[in-house]
Amino acid sequence: MTRLVQAEFGKLFSTKLWLWLLLGALGFTALFVSLTIGFEGQEGNPVPPLSTPEGQRNLFSSASAAGIFALILGIIAVTGEFRHQTATPTFLATPRRGRVISAKLLGYAVTGVGYGILTIAAAIAIALPWTSAKDIELTLTENGIPAVLFGVAASVAVYALLGVGVGALIRNQIAAVVGALVYLFLVEQIVSAVPVVRDYYKWLPGGANNALTGTFVPSVDLLEPWQGGLLLVGYALVFAVLGTVLAVRRDVT
Amino acid sequence: MADASGRIEVSGLTKMFGTVKAVDDLSFTVEPGTVTGFLGPNGAGKTTTLRCVLGLVAPTAGGATIGGRPYAGLTTPPKNVGALLEASSFHPARTARSHLRIYCTVSGIPKQRADEVLELVGLSSAADRKVKGFSMGMRQRLGLAAALLGDPEVLILDEPANGLDPEGIVWLRQFLRRLAGEGRTILVSSHVLSEVEQTVDHVVIINRGTLVRQGKLDELAEHHGHAVLVRSPEIDRLVTALDGKAELTKLPDGAVRVIGPTTAEVGHIAFTERIELHELATERSDLEEIFFALTGEAGAVEHFGSVEGGTAQ
Repeated sequence: MTRLVQAEFGKLFSTKLWLWLLLGALGFTALFVSLTIGFEGQEGNPVPPLSTPEGQRNLFSSASAAGIFALILGIIAVTGEFRHQTATPTFLATPRRGRVISAKLLGYAVTGVGYGILTIAAAIAIALPWTSAKDIELTLTENGIPAVLFGVAASVAVYALLGVGVGALIRNQIAAVVGALVYLFLVEQIVSAVPVVRDYYKWLPGGANNALTGTFVPSVDLLEPWQGGLLLVGYALVFAVLGTVLAVRRDVT
Repeated sequence: MADASGRIEVSGLTKMFGTVKAVDDLSFTVEPGTVTGFLGPNGAGKTTTLRCVLGLVAPTAGGATIGGRPYAGLTTPPKNVGALLEASSFHPARTARSHLRIYCTVSGIPKQRADEVLELVGLSSAADRKVKGFSMGMRQRLGLAAALLGDPEVLILDEPANGLDPEGIVWLRQFLRRLAGEGRTILVSSHVLSEVEQTVDHVVIINRGTLVRQGKLDELAEHHGHAVLVRSPEIDRLVTALDGKAELTKLPDGAVRVIGPTTAEVGHIAFTERIELHELATERSDLEEIFFALTGEAGAVEHFGSVEGGTAQ
């Protein structure tokens, strides 16, 4: 299994996809953190002000937007094998295909942690100088911020894992990426807004993720952060197992 | 090397794609140390069969073993079996060397082996180029390099000559002969017999998913290709004399193709019957024609059996 995970890193770092998606993740982090600080104190701004602990936590939660890039990275890790037909040599070398998916889960969990750490580093690098220039008192060790930073890193990591699961379930790359984005940005947004189904939102991947990162969602109950994290890992593993049984084992022609 | 560990056995293999039977109860054996041509027209089920042997496609019924074990049961498959399937199994943005190194890592093969096999197929100078810039021929070579990574005793090559220019085909032929000379078991598929004719010593011919013939290449030629061509002003008397002793085909130009007896036997019968002969020759039929005859492809020569309405050469 060690060799298989090493090979996954070999695949990952032999193309530049990881770099472009990392730049995307950092860019999104920079954008959301900058917007939160930039619109601070503007009229009609719905997020809590940065002077409050809640507002400071929300500032760093916004960095979790980077997770979407980790998700895409994970999806492409699996679907790319089918798209470029490298599934053939991969499964020739490792005929027990579940082992390939397991190696990807492990490898991309580690990669996701890397993305997560760089994401919070970027968020901190932008937030600290800017808030101090605006005379906002912000200490990283207070107001529950360490938990949020940990949650953001964990969320980005788990999204990479979730991507592997989604990719295993939906072998078609475009369908998997578009499907995941539409689901997260459209379907879940609707669920969280419609009163009748709103109560179920916390059990969905996006809701679980918001719990993990402490993201402020108006008028919705969320799980505890650790519950949200576990639920997300659970989704990733269930997708990966279902995908291995239903899709990955299908004929490679 | 040449023990039973390299034997490929396909038994009762059947594969349905929906309602289409791609392979139908196919059984054949490839003995260790032999080079076997796996022949059949396009769509005969060659690729599906090979993918079933390699565990990439799940058979509907029956199965295949390599050295007595199914492919998935091999401990480190690439060290036993090297496979070349379609030529596009590469990530376009990856270099040839990094592609090979990834599969070295997977199978625990030292990384320098990647450079060795690139050298072997003559791709060393392109080792650090991205595969997307590779020609078809280069991709086939890289595929062969990948198949050889684990220095396997068994090689399964699906249409390796596809997309190669004449120069590439000559190269491939020499390369396969060299690999065969090293005592490897090679199963190589093709829809053109002449591509592999000079390389293989055994053939397995399939058509519409079923076995047409299996055996040594020279036996195939022997069985089908040996004919005696005779010309005589008294051809009808000769036909009567040979009746029951040979398979006869009247050719449009008046000659008769005799299958069964040797040239000497036909000459002797003509002599004892006092029939004047104008021509008595051995006609070795082209293997390609035999292949067409066996697989019944369009434009093929009719089967030798029919006495009436012979076909033109």
